[in-house]
Amino acid sequence: MNAIEIKGLTKNFGQKQALKGLDMTVPVGAIYGFIGENGSGKSTTEKIICGLLHQTDGSVKIFGREQNDADVRAKMGVLIEAPGCFPNYSVWNNMMLQAANLGITNAEQEVVKVLKMVRMEGAASNKYKNCSLGMKQRIGIAMALLGNPRLLVLDEPINGLDADGMRIMREVLCDLAENYGVTIIISSHILGELEKIATHYGIVRGGKMMAEMTAHELEDSCRTYIALQTKDMNRAKMLLGCKYSRVEEDEARYIRVYDEAAPEEIVSYLYKEGIVVSELSTDKIGLEEYYIDLMKEGRQ
Amino acid sequence: MENMKFDKNTFGKRLRTMLSVDFRRMFTMPFLYIMVGICLVMPILILVMTTMMDGSVSVNPQTGAETVIEGFDNVWQIIGTVSNDSTASTEAVAMDMSITAMCNINMLYFIIAVLVCVFVSADFRSGYAKNLFTVRAKKSDYIISKTLVCFVGGTMMILAFLIGAMLGGAISGLPFEMIGFGTGELVMCILSKVVLVSVFVPIYLLMSVIAKQKSWMSILLSMMVGMFLFMMIPMLTPLNATIMNVVLCLLGGVLLSVGMGAISQLTLKKKDIL
Repeated sequence: MNAIEIKGLTKNFGQKQALKGLDMTVPVGAIYGFIGENGSGKSTTEKIICGLLHQTDGSVKIFGREQNDADVRAKMGVLIEAPGCFPNYSVWNNMMLQAANLGITNAEQEVVKVLKMVRMEGAASNKYKNCSLGMKQRIGIAMALLGNPRLLVLDEPINGLDADGMRIMREVLCDLAENYGVTIIISSHILGELEKIATHYGIVRGGKMMAEMTAHELEDSCRTYIALQTKDMNRAKMLLGCKYSRVEEDEARYIRVYDEAAPEEIVSYLYKEGIVVSELSTDKIGLEEYYIDLMKEGRQ
Repeated sequence: MENMKFDKNTFGKRLRTMLSVDFRRMFTMPFLYIMVGICLVMPILILVMTTMMDGSVSVNPQTGAETVIEGFDNVWQIIGTVSNDSTASTEAVAMDMSITAMCNINMLYFIIAVLVCVFVSADFRSGYAKNLFTVRAKKSDYIISKTLVCFVGGTMMILAFLIGAMLGGAISGLPFEMIGFGTGELVMCILSKVVLVSVFVPIYLLMSVIAKQKSWMSILLSMMVGMFLFMMIPMLTPLNATIMNVVLCLLGGVLLSVGMGAISQLTLKKKDIL
């Protein structure tokens, strides 16, 4: 069974078409990294899943049921854009209000539990409006975790979090998915962080799903490359560029050869041309580079 | 995983949780107490000031026309007027534009609009609507709960005004004598005024749902629409009201709650929440 099954999702905002027949499948228990450029339709899709926007066309099924099934929707946690909190209420009162909204019987214990999970128990008496951006994000996450949700929809949840906050977030989400079978849809531009937790990916562009894959599939499709350094970088790059189809210089001033060439072959070729390779390694491109490549291909 | 089970989220449970949220919010909202305070002080000020100015003459410096300011003859005038059965006198009551006819409890039905609009728009302005509507696929519980809670808020304002009127009457030394009506009728009058809140609340709620976070727009729309019903208030809730007046108000309240509630629900269903 899939937690989310979206078919042909279309959303128009007046003349502007934000989603153009998007398909999406999120398996139960997955941490689904939802990636795309700004304005690609990620947040719109998430808002439709949560029932905050109405689609123009297409179908959304949640755990095999209709999108408007009251039983399923009661088991959703959400953090979209900013947490929905009353600025003049304390963190505690906001949490208790959400607990009341979810009909949690042992509300106080539950609120303490989730606040502890995001390390916010010490700030419970603070007024929400006085909290920093990072604290607000943590509160939003805590709020989404209330009531043991089966599906979490998180839009840019790690924005504004410090390194420790990101680590906590990572641990919490992995624990929820692995030990409690919670399905998590998480959109973020911080791909390096997403790569550490996501089990599935969906890459959206211009309101359409470009690719959906598991983390293993992504790993397989991520090209290997050889990175090397020489004293004469410019000449080496020129020579390799003539022999291999894709040669680039990265930010750390390493030459990358993406073709499936053997390292020995490259070393001996450059040696014959009078260039000594001082450093050489083989590696795979990460999610970020894969995504950038895919976007480039899409544009072309 | 094939047979994923979810607890039944019944209408009763949904309404209970929604009411719990709304009552918690309403009674922790300082704005409610400000409004109730205003309703308490307003009749005191009206009664004291009009009694002080009673009989004084103001002269228009340009035309030289003299206007005698008439105050309240007794305390109950600020609650309502005695209606006669004849059509002519009913019309006279409805069209009375004197200060005593305008500055009375009836103007509260406008002030209640402010309470309802501010209360509902706060859901959308703060973003709390996201939390509410994500876990609430059905919008009926939201509408019913808001109607009931705003009705309670409105009733508190009416009752505060009544207490204020008593205090104002005592301070200004106005008589409490009942002319043309009895205690039972006065009780029915107050009851019908309370029940009449349920006629106005669904209208204001619909305007709030349409305007969402724009509270100024919902207040403006509410007052414009409420204006059409305003003239009916003295006729529906006279001082010599009977059980029929209460029943009429109740019927109107139920009909409007159902009708406007259905439109509000449809608005929420068809319009995007964010």
